[in-house]
Amino acid sequence: MDAVFTKCERCGQPIYEKDLGARFNVCPHCEFHYPLSAPARIRLLLDRGSFEERDVGLLAGDPLGFEGYEERLAKARRRTGLDDAVVSGVGSLGGRRVALAVMDFRFIGGSMGSVVGEKVARTVEHAYAEELPLVIVSASGGARMFEGVYSLMQLAKTSVALSRYVEGSWPYVSVLTDPTFGGVTASFATAADVVIAEPGARIGFAGARVIEQTTRERLPEGFQTAEFQRDHGMVDRIVHRLALRGDIERLLGFVA
Amino acid sequence: MILEFERPIKELEERISGLHRLAGGSEGLQAEISRLEDALDAAKRRVYSNLSPYQRVQVARHPDRPNFRAYRDALTEDFYELSGDRLHGDDAAVRGGFARLKPELGGHPVVLVGHDKGADVKARVAGNFGMAHPEGYRKVGRFYELAVRFGLPIVLLVDTPGAFAGRQAEERGQAWAISADLMALSRAPVPVVSFVIGEGGSGGALAMCLADYVGMLENSYLSVIAPESCASIIFRDPGRAAEAAEALKLTARDLKEHGIVDEVLPEPLGGAHNEPEDAIDTVGGALGRVVSGLSEADPEALVAARHDRYRRIGERAMQDGTG
Repeated sequence: MDAVFTKCERCGQPIYEKDLGARFNVCPHCEFHYPLSAPARIRLLLDRGSFEERDVGLLAGDPLGFEGYEERLAKARRRTGLDDAVVSGVGSLGGRRVALAVMDFRFIGGSMGSVVGEKVARTVEHAYAEELPLVIVSASGGARMFEGVYSLMQLAKTSVALSRYVEGSWPYVSVLTDPTFGGVTASFATAADVVIAEPGARIGFAGARVIEQTTRERLPEGFQTAEFQRDHGMVDRIVHRLALRGDIERLLGFVA
Repeated sequence: MILEFERPIKELEERISGLHRLAGGSEGLQAEISRLEDALDAAKRRVYSNLSPYQRVQVARHPDRPNFRAYRDALTEDFYELSGDRLHGDDAAVRGGFARLKPELGGHPVVLVGHDKGADVKARVAGNFGMAHPEGYRKVGRFYELAVRFGLPIVLLVDTPGAFAGRQAEERGQAWAISADLMALSRAPVPVVSFVIGEGGSGGALAMCLADYVGMLENSYLSVIAPESCASIIFRDPGRAAEAAEALKLTARDLKEHGIVDEVLPEPLGGAHNEPEDAIDTVGGALGRVVSGLSEADPEALVAARHDRYRRIGERAMQDGTG
């Protein structure tokens, strides 16, 4: 798209794309939070130039020989310039070193396959070995079906890695963004000391459409939003994207 | 219930019993009966040794398949059931408590936990067909804590289509409850032994099979998603469930080959629902052997080995170019 301005899908107001980019994809009129790529998220959170990417070059195999998977991977790599749906490493946040993993929804819906699980586990292990606070930003539609049970096993892999980390006294902060579902929510994303969510983010185990199909239930307005999850006691804080870095910095001031 | 591919077997069985009725003491029909019995045996072998993955899924879901209660009654004595999550309620989709394995299985006291699909319609509805709500997974989490506190092995029987997907389950934090169970099993310094006896549906199954030993009955399955749902999402056609089941590599044999589970437990010819006692005996044999084998293990070593097992799982699913 070569237009210099676009129309907000939420409020319908025209937005200069430059403005949207400068506000990390938050609408300047209605504050709607659009998805944010992992590289942009890292720029948002970490001190300029402090990010050292780790574990680059892990590539998904096609363990089951699942029809169409190789093509999907190739396309996602081309479109995003990423190896898989997570970018990870260490860097400083407000002058404090942290281990950070950020998911990218553009890569096959942020689905969790072996590489996502492995990079998350390694980030946890870097944090453990180097005694750093751990920050993980999630965005995931759920399992990577093309990897079948290997995808399911990533819940176990990330859990065993985290179970060591939480024996120590360094904090784990999980940030849930739109959308975070399935295996990611049912494992590392909710096993944190503090769970932060972005306004309006849809968060849950099963997606609303699946629930409607299986139970024929009409779901209430705002079902599974960040606010819904906070009101049900599942999320600690809702934090505007542009305040996120400062918010985590404040938190680490208490516990890191 | 008769599965489609079981029809030729059932027809032969009916003809044989019909002839038995006719035959009385007559010897003339005996030859015909024994011919049909041979044919029946051959048909069973033919059908059951060539089940497709999706047919196995159907066997795993068979309503007459032995369930949690059957295993509990046959393999343990003095099951001391405990209820409730101490927060919301008691979920009948999962059951558990203290139990003592039968003397011939070593007689160990254990914490026994399983999905309960129920044996009749009423129990099935009460147990939501084995699909637990968050209170179920939190109850299970309590049992894990009790096992750790008293140093008892955790014995798990997995048989669920999946954790329940519903409004209330979401309101009460289904994902949070499952995640907490995974974390609890990750660090429980006691033996954790799990058997997939029927359906192993995704996170709701994994919350009860992150273990030191995972055994799967031959016709059980373990999958990240139900084949029907996978077919609607990937192929945009729920009718292609059989293909999806094939592609997902969800059978016990596939999972053993991929190094995900430890053992495939053979089922009697015709599936566990045809000879429940045989299937239960097979599981019992493995249970006794594994619990006895792990009972003297060093608790820290168990946790370390469990960590390494799941940390390394699926290494071959990636190309590691990180050096």
